[in-house]
Amino acid sequence: MKILTHKQELCNGCLDCEVACSQTYYKTSDRNYSAIRIIENNKTYRARKCTQCGECINMCTAHAIYRDHNGVVRIDKKKCVGCLGCVGFCSELVMFYADDQEVPFKCIACNVCSKACPTGALEILISQVKER
Amino acid sequence: MIRLNTEDYPWKSGMTVRSLLDEKVFTFRHIIVRVNGEYVPEEEYETQLIQDGDDVIVLHLMAGG
Amino acid sequence: MGAILKEYRYTPAKIVRGYSGKSLYINVSDLRIEEKTITEFMKEKFTGGKGFDLWYLWNAVIPETRWDSPENEIVMSVGPLGGITQYSGTGKTLVASISPLTDIPIDSNAGGYFGPLLKFSGWDAFELQGKAEKEIIIFIDGNNGLIEIKEAEEYPEDSHVLAEQLTREYADDENDMVNVSVVCTGSAAKHGFMGMLNFSFYDPRRQTVRFKQAARGGLGTILCDKKIKALVVKYKGVTPNLNNAADLATINKVGVKYHKEMHDLDSKQNKMRQIGTANTVMIMSQYDLLPTRNFQTGGDPEVVKIAPEVFINEWLTQGLHDGCWYGCTMSCAKCADHFLLTSGPYAGERVTVDGPEYECVAGLGANLGIFDPQAILEENFYCDTYGIDLISFATCTAFIMECRQRGQITQEQMGGLDLRFGNKDAVLELLHLMSRGEGFGRLAGLGIRKLKKIFVEEFGADADLLEDIGMEVKGLEYAEYAHKESLAQQGGFALATKGPQHDEAWLIFMDMVNKQIPTFEDKANALYYFPMFRTWFGLVGLCKLPWNDIVPADNHKTSEPAKVPEHVQNYVDIYNAVTGEDIDKDELILQSERVYQFQRVFSVRMGKGERKDDYAPYRSLGPVSREEYLSRQDLYDKQLSELQGLDPEVIDLDEKIAKLRAYREDQYEQLMDAVYRRRGWTMNGIPTPERLREIGMDLPMLLEVVEPKL
Repeated sequence: MKILTHKQELCNGCLDCEVACSQTYYKTSDRNYSAIRIIENNKTYRARKCTQCGECINMCTAHAIYRDHNGVVRIDKKKCVGCLGCVGFCSELVMFYADDQEVPFKCIACNVCSKACPTGALEILISQVKER
Repeated sequence: MIRLNTEDYPWKSGMTVRSLLDEKVFTFRHIIVRVNGEYVPEEEYETQLIQDGDDVIVLHLMAGG
Repeated sequence: MGAILKEYRYTPAKIVRGYSGKSLYINVSDLRIEEKTITEFMKEKFTGGKGFDLWYLWNAVIPETRWDSPENEIVMSVGPLGGITQYSGTGKTLVASISPLTDIPIDSNAGGYFGPLLKFSGWDAFELQGKAEKEIIIFIDGNNGLIEIKEAEEYPEDSHVLAEQLTREYADDENDMVNVSVVCTGSAAKHGFMGMLNFSFYDPRRQTVRFKQAARGGLGTILCDKKIKALVVKYKGVTPNLNNAADLATINKVGVKYHKEMHDLDSKQNKMRQIGTANTVMIMSQYDLLPTRNFQTGGDPEVVKIAPEVFINEWLTQGLHDGCWYGCTMSCAKCADHFLLTSGPYAGERVTVDGPEYECVAGLGANLGIFDPQAILEENFYCDTYGIDLISFATCTAFIMECRQRGQITQEQMGGLDLRFGNKDAVLELLHLMSRGEGFGRLAGLGIRKLKKIFVEEFGADADLLEDIGMEVKGLEYAEYAHKESLAQQGGFALATKGPQHDEAWLIFMDMVNKQIPTFEDKANALYYFPMFRTWFGLVGLCKLPWNDIVPADNHKTSEPAKVPEHVQNYVDIYNAVTGEDIDKDELILQSERVYQFQRVFSVRMGKGERKDDYAPYRSLGPVSREEYLSRQDLYDKQLSELQGLDPEVIDLDEKIAKLRAYREDQYEQLMDAVYRRRGWTMNGIPTPERLREIGMDLPMLLEVVEPKL
């Protein structure tokens, strides 16, 4: 399946990825609208983003989350009723919502952030990991 | 003798929170234990000794049904 | 299928801050359809949901109205918070009518999609009055503003077949089926007084129609009597903010916090996501609270056979979303898929059984002496599809079985049916007889109050004994908790306005185990606060379970953990965020009390609702029989000596039973006094004009009822 990966040792914490993501989907530089969040801890940087594990698929109360043909977990925004149950149930805390948005959002391994990354820390991989 | 939920209850030497719960068949999982007003976390039920004269509260948290 | 009798076009009202502002009235006698306006007065005094139901019902009936009078109404309403998706348990429909079991207003609530879709179709409330000539189906199309009434005689009766057929008929295609919800009952509803209403929702993962029930008090019987076979609503396009909430951001924030709590804590707390309400069956038995063999005892060693683990491991499908409305992450509506039926008209078919819930395992299991999970699921299925309230059925059948055990009726008088504790085949046969309206099935659905009379007058049974062991108050059968050792809960049941249902108060642990409410005043305070608080769920369209079937991790640090203060604040915040109002937790109680007192006065108006109607059968208060006394002899002997200063060694068993009884009956009288005072009632149980004035309910129509009773 397609998955966004992050190499901690290459990341300089510039947050270009967050801006690229929120600009692309919500036309804003506000990081609260980014589906990737870089977390700093003692000058090292960790990325919070979807692992495409699919735990949210079965718990979705509107049957609106599915895995596409690339193995990417996606939200059908027409079916989503905005209950945000998936936000509370994501063990990785990578299903996001914003105050003025009715439906949640997540990383769909689209490549926008990895293209924006100046250090090559972000990369889309085709993973052979068994899907849950 | 100890106080258990405001009533007298016989004390035994070596009594722990766990042994008291077992003796009373307090099997409900959702409880709060306080010994002499001090909250006892579940991890300490086995080790927390109850002394003669202690005031034990075992609150069952269910007002549901 | 079925000729169209009436078509009515309307413009669906837009919902603003939780209210559409319109209600729908249909008179099925002359097929008259009217739109009414929800007034500011209604919102101020009654809030919504059950409040609106009772207001419309009051205006429809007179004191002489009975369940089958044409002017009796079935009213339903979802409440201003109903239909929001961001918090758990937000799709409850509240239903009210004059009950065939009690002759006073009954209120009952159900999950399922009907209420929210009805509101999204433009209707805050829905009144059904009159009696149709022939069986009809009423269809509401909320997208196109169309109401259609058509003939229904060719349609099947039983819910699982009828709702599936109607859902397919009214959905455009498979994807559209989630947008259709059906209310219907079943073949047994017309052969007794305990018919219930099924509220459907379509489960796209299982590809089947599922149900939640507004079960209590005979609502299905009334639907049948009105010759309404089904109500169908269709609304396509459920989106996150159809209620047009004043402040969606707050609802989102509170909702996410709650979902996270459910994710982190449910598996450590009640396991609602794995087993639902039946999680407490073993616990209840261990604390002597599981009604067994008509409430004679509070548990049994055999209960392990119907323990939660058995259902989780062997019967209930795990890991799928099981909410009965969008956004409910408590997801407690479990079901047994591919269940093979072994009896009745559907024997050999594989079906999805919705449940079992706690009341089902306790009632159809332990209380009938049946410790067999498969039998319980089959009873559950047939109660549901036949439209039978399984609580009334279980408690009533347990009563019949004990009458048999004590030689009060014979097998011959039951038409040869071998109804004794533990006989699952006879219970299933009884259900099939009720469905067909044959033999003893015609009697068994009448309910305990009417059966007591019949058994005494026709079969020569002992009237006093039957009064003691027949577990009903006001004509309604008890819900499934043994509670002899909790005085507060004796009141929680018998002082409940509509009859002994535990949705007003469940105080057993606080009272009997925790000893938190030792005095009459403490118990009365609890019997004030909890019924008022819990009434509120029914005003706004919420389910009670998410309030306290999970609690925040630090709930134990609060001053009143039983009230779950953080969740109460969640409700206040959500209410304000939807409606744009600014209430606090005290105002919330005031909203409830207005409706609570109104309903009590309504009962008074209908001829019940006084002290005489609030007495409990002695089985509720203490040991009736020698075996019961002996089963807990140490406990009862101790009470005789400690509380009454008697020496149990020198008194014989019958005298001990009598002494204990005198003591407990006196305690109950004192409890009534204390509760009446706390609720602002006279010692005869009548709400005083002063109290009504304090809460802004001194309406002339209420004063007219209470003043002659002072």
